Amino acid sequence: MLKARIKKSLPGFDLDIELSLDRELLAILGFSGSGKTMTLQCIAGLTRPDEGYIELGGKVLFDSVAGINLPPQKRRVGFVFQNYALFPHMTIDENVAYSIRHLPAWEAREKVLQLLSMMNISSLSGRYPRQLSAGQQQRTAIARALAPDPEVLLLDEPFSALDSQLRERLELELLNLQRAYRASMLLVTHDLAEGYKLGARVAVYHAGRIAQCDTRHQVFSMPVNRTVARLTGVRNLMDGHISRFDKSYTWVQIPAWDMELKALLRPDKGLVVGQQVALGIRPEHVQITKEEYAENVVSSSVLQVVEGISSFTYRFVVDNDKQECHIVNALIPESSAMLLHEGQSCLVYLPPERLIVIPE
Amino acid sequence: MTDSYLAPLWISLKTVFTATAIVFFLGITAAHWLSRYSGRLKDVIDGLFILPMVLPPTVVGYALLLFFGRHGPAGKILDFFGANIVFSWWATVIAAVVMAFPLMYMTTRSAFEQVEPNIQSAARTLGASEWRVFWTVTLPLAWPGVAAATVLALARTLGEFGATLMLAGNIPGKTATIPVALYFAIQAGDDQKALVLVLIVLLFSFTSLGIVGYWKRRSRRAKGYITS
Repeated sequence: MLKARIKKSLPGFDLDIELSLDRELLAILGFSGSGKTMTLQCIAGLTRPDEGYIELGGKVLFDSVAGINLPPQKRRVGFVFQNYALFPHMTIDENVAYSIRHLPAWEAREKVLQLLSMMNISSLSGRYPRQLSAGQQQRTAIARALAPDPEVLLLDEPFSALDSQLRERLELELLNLQRAYRASMLLVTHDLAEGYKLGARVAVYHAGRIAQCDTRHQVFSMPVNRTVARLTGVRNLMDGHISRFDKSYTWVQIPAWDMELKALLRPDKGLVVGQQVALGIRPEHVQITKEEYAENVVSSSVLQVVEGISSFTYRFVVDNDKQECHIVNALIPESSAMLLHEGQSCLVYLPPERLIVIPE
Repeated sequence: MTDSYLAPLWISLKTVFTATAIVFFLGITAAHWLSRYSGRLKDVIDGLFILPMVLPPTVVGYALLLFFGRHGPAGKILDFFGANIVFSWWATVIAAVVMAFPLMYMTTRSAFEQVEPNIQSAARTLGASEWRVFWTVTLPLAWPGVAAATVLALARTLGEFGATLMLAGNIPGKTATIPVALYFAIQAGDDQKALVLVLIVLLFSFTSLGIVGYWKRRSRRAKGYITS
């Protein structure tokens, strides 16, 4: 069980966060410079918070009030650095064995072999880091961090230097590792898909604060504000106000489009009629339709089409009589796409169960 | 006859290796300490350590003479124990140490600071004490730089003239190192002796440069370690 409350003033912003995790993988999601890495550094004891309290497995690591600040050596925190930070002058076996030299030689050797085989790098035994590929270095870094049986594993953008195929494989392996040992892991990433895939829970960082921390499903389907919505990939946000409620939907008036759209109810936020809100929808949930007079159908024209491998990226301009340019971004799978040309008129359908009401 | 060549060579070699050994440990200790120290006086201490390099050697020699002389603070203590440094062989060592220290300190410190901080942090999170981090990570990774610094310091101790002459004087067979002996040979018009001494120094210096170049190439290769 890791509990951390950290305050630290940094050039540009102040870090002020509180989080906890227990035998799960918590993904910290945010852009660079939002304090993600600093959080890991504070937990590992590599940087001293100005104020706060950090507890791991019942042991107090840092307490600014009681004046406790354990050095990194005594914290039992495993750290996987973004650039792996392997010891270049040691073989991968020596790297992995670095933390367990207090064990008898045969026991340390056995542990190293076991970790190498767990990370699928047994065949590389005896090699130096510079002789390894990025993916192999990454596996070595994880094996090395796990060797002293840490209470928590901190991973700082562990996959950012890998190509997409390798990345996907290592993500799955990490997930398996986490599930097999029910390990506590804190993973920092700026990649939405990665954060969603790996984190049972996701903490969204913005300018040194946690904008939202919840199950990944909750965070991605019910962002609490515009910032979280934008950070979690809700690219389309429309301003409006709530016009009415019915049994299962919230109706939102969008003045710029001169339209009323319906969206799912959002019981978690105590919304009232007349309240200013934003309506959000992910590009991949926008559809093209032919039903002219249906609800939530917007007439528009195609501004741009980009053909991808298995989907089309569209930018639509919503028709209106105010000479304003309102764009809807859409990512439409090839199978359900009618190929539209730039400039062509079309009908865009925004499914109510995909529209998110976001309080301002 | 050969004795007048060999005595300066022998004195210089003794001085060079003793002084370099002392500078090696002093420089590494100071560099490691100051690269981790973050107090207010950091810049002041750094400046003090480098000072002998920017001062004229005769000024440093005169300061040492005042410090170790009969009325100086160190001289009084030594006098109490019946010892004397000025114009003794140890004076050549002290002058060489003081003059070579800044070079050793500066080069070593930049070598330490070029070791990637994350690698040291990694060692700490793996439970290594600061002592172990230094011996197993920092020093091995900075080693090419430290070795180059040592060779430079060694060459500097060999070339030391001004401060040595001030503190140790020119006592043949006792304090007359090669540079000092060379100066007095030329003054006395003994061209043959001067030439032989020059050749000895040239040989030594070229060898030193060769070793520095070798270590630099190694260090450049060592930095390629991390790129994947």
